[in-house]
Amino acid sequence: MFETIDPRSATPLYAQIASRLRIAIAAGELRPGAALPSVRHLAAQLRMNPATVVQAYRDLEDEGFVEMRQGAGTFVREVAPEGRARERARQASVLVRQMLADAGRLGVSLSELQAAIAQEIGVETS
Amino acid sequence: MMNAIETDQLHYRAAKTFHISGLGLKVPVGAIYGFLGPNGSGKTTTIRLVLGLLRPLAGRISVLGHEIPRDAPSILAQVGFVPEQPHLDSILTVRETLAFHAAFYPTWDWPWAERLLRQFDLEERQPFGRLSKGQKGKVMMLLALAQRPELLVLDEPTDGLDPVVRRDVLSALLDYVSQRRASVFISSHLIHELERFCDWIGVMDNGRLITQVPMERFKNGIKRLRISGAPPIPESLPFVLLGREQTDGATETWLVREWEPQMSAYFDRPGVTLTEVMDLDLEEGFVELLRTFRGPRA
Repeated sequence: MFETIDPRSATPLYAQIASRLRIAIAAGELRPGAALPSVRHLAAQLRMNPATVVQAYRDLEDEGFVEMRQGAGTFVREVAPEGRARERARQASVLVRQMLADAGRLGVSLSELQAAIAQEIGVETS
Repeated sequence: MMNAIETDQLHYRAAKTFHISGLGLKVPVGAIYGFLGPNGSGKTTTIRLVLGLLRPLAGRISVLGHEIPRDAPSILAQVGFVPEQPHLDSILTVRETLAFHAAFYPTWDWPWAERLLRQFDLEERQPFGRLSKGQKGKVMMLLALAQRPELLVLDEPTDGLDPVVRRDVLSALLDYVSQRRASVFISSHLIHELERFCDWIGVMDNGRLITQVPMERFKNGIKRLRISGAPPIPESLPFVLLGREQTDGATETWLVREWEPQMSAYFDRPGVTLTEVMDLDLEEGFVELLRTFRGPRA
């Protein structure tokens, strides 16, 4: 889940961790009641500052995705289907924004992009 | 006590050509402080001063709220130190080395030392001198951690180790830091390694501390801008211009510090376009900082 975290990216590490977990929750990969790895375990595993992991978990708690129970750990909360759909829509915009930024840098026009998307989807479903 | 390590106006002279001047280090309690600088910039000398192994010409040093070198003997029991070069007896076995070390530290934690021995896959009957470089590196980190220090001072602890050993050693360090809110002062050449876990950065050059900031500010503040139709003599800049060069024709590349997103408004003027704002990672920022500090290019 955390393989793609990039310390060199301009996106802060805590935001990268939170984003990976949010996607896993929205996709149902992490079910309600599931425990997140302990701060200590995740910090050692990713060789990151424990404060970074705590900040990621706090952000997820503020957004209602998880619940931090004193002494017990951090657990995924029951997220309403609309909440998960909203998160998926948000991730979709993130993907599109990234693609548009890359396309802009390469000088790919919107119609070329649309043609490529149509072609990819065609290949997928045929 | 606000700072685990603090120096004020520290001066030291090793030879006619090398001196440390006006050093003001501040390592906040609980911070993981990355200490960067090119070879010969004074990192190891600074570490030796902080630990009371060298006497300063002038200035004040405090470690965990105690004055150095006066209180060094008592305070060093709470400091885990990994020196650049191993300083251990090569004839003693790993087990004997641990026992020898344990005798000096009242806070030594045997169960944890045993666990680290297994975790690091160390053969305890091997003489220290016969260990590979990677195994020596693991023993050094084990010794520093098993004494359960409040402060860890690590001088290039992963230098020359292979990536697998580096990962094991740093995981153990971060595991310890999570258990106990210890402060860490770590020097390293492996900038990308520090980028993962340091929350403070200090940069040395030629015996001086040229930068000391929270990591986030260091990383966010330095940008490379690409501008077409750049104004010839920039006036009232909201950021600090470190350097500029003509890329091709009407396009210029600027290197800036203290950049914030809303500052792109500065380029909203006729004939000027800000085409790109590029992020620099820690290594690029570090290299650019040294380059501009040593004299901006024309």
